[in-house]
Amino acid sequence: MRTIQTEVLVIGGGATGAGIIRDLAMRGFDAILVEKRDLTHGTTGRYHGLLHSGGRYAVKDPKAAVECIEENRILRRIMPHCLEDTGGFFVVTPWDDPDFGDTFMEGCRNAGIPVEEISVAQMLREEPLLNPKISRCFRVPDAAADSFLATRLNAESARAYGARIWTYHEVRDLMMDGQRVIGAVCYDLVHDEEVRIYADMVVNAAGAWAGKIAAMAGLDVTITPGKGVMVAINHRVLNTVVNRCKMPSDGDIIVPIHTVAVIGTTDVKVSDPEHFAIEPWEVELMLDEGEKLVPGVKEMRILRAWAGVRPLYQETKAVDTRDITRAYTLLDHETRDGVSGIITMTGGKWTTYRQMAQVTVDRVCEKFGVQRECRTHLEPLPGAEQHGGYHWLGARFADVERRQAYGDLICECELATREDVERAILEGDAKAIDDIRRMVRLGMGPCQGGFCTFRAVGLLHRLRQPDVEEANAALRDFLQERWKGLLPILWGQQLRQERLDEFIYLSVLNVDHLPGPKATRLAPVMYDPPTGEAPQGRV
Amino acid sequence: MRMNTYPDVIVIGAGLSGLTAAWQLAARGHRVRLITKGWGATHWHSGCIDVLGYFPIGNTPPVSLPRETLATLIANMPEHPYALVGIERLEAALDAFATLCHDAGYPLHGSLDSQWLLPSAVGAFRPTCLAPETMMAGDLSRHDREPMLIVGFERLNDFYPELIAANLIKQGHLARGTLVETPTLRRQKAINTLVLARLFEQATFRAEFIAAVKPKLGKAERVGIPAVLGFDNALAIKAELEKAFDRPIFEIPTVPPSVPGMRLHRILTRAIERAGGDIRTGMQVVAADTKGDRVTTIWTEAAARRVPHHADTFVLATGGILGGGITTTYTGEVREVVFGLPVNAPTDRMAWLYRDVLDERGHPIFRAGIRVNSSFRPLDGETPRYTNVHVIGTTLDGCEPLRERSFEGIAIATGFAVQDALPTTNHSTSA
Ligand SMILES: Cc1cc2nc3c(=O)[nH]c(=O)nc-3n(C[C@H](O)[C@H](O)[C@H](O)COP(=O)(O)OP(=O)(O)OC[C@H]3O[C@@H](n4cnc5c(N)ncnc54)[C@H](O)[C@@H]3O)c2cc1C
Repeated sequence: MRTIQTEVLVIGGGATGAGIIRDLAMRGFDAILVEKRDLTHGTTGRYHGLLHSGGRYAVKDPKAAVECIEENRILRRIMPHCLEDTGGFFVVTPWDDPDFGDTFMEGCRNAGIPVEEISVAQMLREEPLLNPKISRCFRVPDAAADSFLATRLNAESARAYGARIWTYHEVRDLMMDGQRVIGAVCYDLVHDEEVRIYADMVVNAAGAWAGKIAAMAGLDVTITPGKGVMVAINHRVLNTVVNRCKMPSDGDIIVPIHTVAVIGTTDVKVSDPEHFAIEPWEVELMLDEGEKLVPGVKEMRILRAWAGVRPLYQETKAVDTRDITRAYTLLDHETRDGVSGIITMTGGKWTTYRQMAQVTVDRVCEKFGVQRECRTHLEPLPGAEQHGGYHWLGARFADVERRQAYGDLICECELATREDVERAILEGDAKAIDDIRRMVRLGMGPCQGGFCTFRAVGLLHRLRQPDVEEANAALRDFLQERWKGLLPILWGQQLRQERLDEFIYLSVLNVDHLPGPKATRLAPVMYDPPTGEAPQGRV
Repeated sequence: MRMNTYPDVIVIGAGLSGLTAAWQLAARGHRVRLITKGWGATHWHSGCIDVLGYFPIGNTPPVSLPRETLATLIANMPEHPYALVGIERLEAALDAFATLCHDAGYPLHGSLDSQWLLPSAVGAFRPTCLAPETMMAGDLSRHDREPMLIVGFERLNDFYPELIAANLIKQGHLARGTLVETPTLRRQKAINTLVLARLFEQATFRAEFIAAVKPKLGKAERVGIPAVLGFDNALAIKAELEKAFDRPIFEIPTVPPSVPGMRLHRILTRAIERAGGDIRTGMQVVAADTKGDRVTTIWTEAAARRVPHHADTFVLATGGILGGGITTTYTGEVREVVFGLPVNAPTDRMAWLYRDVLDERGHPIFRAGIRVNSSFRPLDGETPRYTNVHVIGTTLDGCEPLRERSFEGIAIATGFAVQDALPTTNHSTSA
C-alpha cells in the first residue's frame, strides 16, 4: 500500500477532469488526477465528436446554446489542432416540419449563434451526397473535434504545470473524518495494489459515475445515465457536420471525423453507466435515419459501433432523459449536504468542458480562501502554436509525405507510423495496446486492427521487454477491444474483413495457442449482450 | 486452348481449391477455364498445408496423429468435407500436390502420420501437415543445446524476432532474437516481405546479409528468418546461406503478403497453363443463366463489360465468407453470390457471433457453407439444386477451416476429389 498527500484530488479522466486538473495546475494547486482506466475511457472517448455551435439547443435549451457558442469560440482559439473546421448544416428533410426552420433561426440569433440560410443548390454543391429532397439548409459554426487528443493535451499541459495524472487508478472508497472527506482509497490496476491519497479537497468529475463516487461519502447524487449509440461509416460521406433541423431526436446528426463519418445517436435511460448493451434496433435506427440525410448510407460498409452515457443530473425524476437540462451542475456538498472536502461537477457537454472546469476551480479557490485567476481560455493547449491552425483531413497524409514515411506505417488505415507508435509506447506511457490506439488512432480504420495489432505488440515487447506472457495477453486484449465495437455491426464487407483477421491471427500466427493468460486486468469492459428486443413504442 | 473453343469446365475462384481443381481437371484432359476476381487466400496463407491442427476445435494440444484423428472426425461428422472426400482421396490429393511441388524444385515434406510443429511469426507452435523444405529446420520437436538465432530486419514491420524468441523460450526452447541491416536495405524506402524476397534473389544482397548475420551466429545450432528467400529459387538460396553459416536455416511464415504462399500459387498457375487451362483474372461473376436443373451460362463483368461464358460443368470455388463467395446483410440474410445456392447458416444475426473474439467454439456465422452430396453437387433440401454445378473448398458446409487449421487441406482435397464427379473426357491432353 502507498500513501500520498496532495491539495486537490480530481476523480475522473474525461474531458471534465482533464480540464479541471489543467486549470488547477495553472492556478498553482498541487493536484492529482486519478482515472480508473485510461484517459477518455468514459463518455469522452465514446461521444459523437461534435464541437457544438449551440444550434442543436437553440430552441430547446437556450442556456445550453449560449454556453456552447461561447466555448466554441474559445476552443477554436486554444485548440485549433484538435478541431476540424467543417462548419455545420441544419437541414429540413421531407420528414421534418419546414416551419421549424424559422423558429431555429430565431433561437440561434437569440443565443448569439451566427446563422445563415443557404440555398439547397449551394448545399448540394458543397455536399453532393446529401438528400436532394432537403428543402432548407442553415449554416452554423459547428466543427468536428478529437476528444482523445484534446483530453491528452489538457493532461500534458497539467503535467507541465506540475500535476500528477494517474491512469488505471480506480477510486474504491472515500476516506472520511466525521462529516469531512479527507481523501480516497484507490486501486492501482497495473501494479495490483492499493493507494491512499489524502487531499484537502476532492473534486468528483466522474461524469455518469459521479453518483457512485458521491455515494461513497454517503451523498445522494442522482445521475440518470442516458445511453447513446453511434455508428461509424467507412467513408467521409460528408465534409460538413449535418444536423436535422428539428427538435433534438434520435439519429439526427452525421459528423465527419478523421477518415470516417459518424451517425448518431440515441437516448435510452440505463440503470448503470458501465453495464448496458448496444441493441440491433439502435444500430438499425441509426442507419435508417442516416439514410434520410445521405441516401445509400445503409449499403455502405460500417466500421464499428459504440455507445456512451450522458451524465444527466437530476434533482427530481423526469421521464424522457432528453428533457433534462444539458447545462452542467456544480454541487457544493458542504452547503447542499453538510459534507465538506468534496465538490461534484457533472452534466454538461464536451464542448463546455473548459467552462465547467473554470467554474469548478473558482469554487476550489473560494474553499481554499485564495484568489487566483483562470487562464485556460487564454493559453493554447500544447502544440497549437507549432501546428498553426485547424486539423484537416489530409494532414496525416501530408505529414507522412513530408517525412517520407510510407515504408514506416504500422497502421496503414490511419497512417500511424512506427515513430508515432514508438513515441506512444515510450513517452506516452501506454499500458495497453488500446492506450496506443487512443494516442495515435491505431486500429481505428477499416481493418480494425487486423495488421497493426500484431505490429504494435511486437514494438511494445521490443521497447518495454515485459514478460512475454503479458505481451501475448495484451495482444489478445486488443483483439477483444476491437471486437467489442465490431460485434454489433458485423455483416457484409466488415464480416469478411473480420474473417481475414481471423485468418491472420489464428491460421498464420496461432495467437490463440500462445502461452499466457487469456486476458489481463486491463482487458476491455464489454457491452452487455443485447436482448434483441425492440424498445417499447418502437417497431 | 483457343479463345473460341468453349470450355467444358469453368472453375470459378482461384484460391487453393479452385487452382487445384483447375490443375487436376486440365491435367486430365478437360478444357478448363478458370475465372476469378482475385487470388483468394493464396497470397495470405502460410505456405504450409494444414490438414487438421486441432480437433475437436478448441482442444489445446494439437493433433499429433492426423490419420487417426481424421478417422474420428469422419466417423463423427459425416457432413464434413473430409468425410465426403475420405482419407484415401485426401492422401492422394496431398501426394499429387507434393509431387507437383517436388517436380517444380520446391519439395514439401510430411504425411498424415505425423504433425509438424513449426514456429509462427509470434513464436507460437504451428501444427501443420505438409511444410516446404525451407521451413523444415524450424521443427520444434527437436531441442537445441544452444539458443537458436531468430533474425529479423530493421524497419521490417511484420517480423519481431525478440518476440518470437521470448515465446519459444517460454515454451521450453532456447532462442534469441536479433535485427540486422545491410547497406542495400539502408537505401530502401520501404522494407516488406516482397521487397526482401526480390532482394534475396540477388547474389550481392545475399552476400551483404551473410556478412551482417555471421558475427551474430555464436553457437546457434540453427537460424530462423522470415519467409523471404526469393520466389523461384528458395532452395538454392537456402543452401547458399546454410553453407555460409555452416548450420541449417529455416523460414518462418509471415503475415500477408506471404512469399511461401505465392510460391505455391506460382507452381499451381504454371501447372494449369502447362496443362492447357485458361486463366482469366480480374473478372467477377455477376449472374448465371439456368435451364431446368442445369446452369448454361455465367456472366462476368470486367471493365464494365458483361461477357457470357458457356460450359457443361461449373465448379464453384469462391471461398465462403472469407473469399467473398458468401455475403451477409444486416437483416441476417446469408447469400451465395453466383448461383444463389442455399446456404446453411444461422439466420438470426444475434446468433452469428460469440462475445469473445477468440471463443474456442468458433463463431457460428463462419461455419456458413453450402451443403453438398458426395459428388459435391449443392443440395436444396436433399436433392441437388443443379446437376452440373459442383462446390468445393472452404465454401462448403460442415467445417470450420480456420479453427480446425484445415484450411489448405480442405481446399486441396476437395479441389482434387471433384474430378471424380465429372464425366471423363475424351479430349487429348498435352499435360
Ligand atoms: C452518445 C453521446 C454523444 C455525445 N456527443 C457529444 C458531442 O457531439 N459534443 C459534445 O460536446 N458533447 C457530446 N456528448 C456529451 C459529452 O460527451 C459528455 O458530456 C462529456 O464527454 C462528459 O465528460 P466527463 O469528463 O464529464 O465524463 P467522462 O468522460 O465519462 O469521464 C468520467 C471518467 O470518470 C472515470 N471514473 C468513473 N468511476 C471512477 C472511479 N471509481 N475511479 C476513477 N475514475 C472513475 C471514468 O472511467 C471516466 O473516464 C455526448 C454524450 C453522449 C452520451
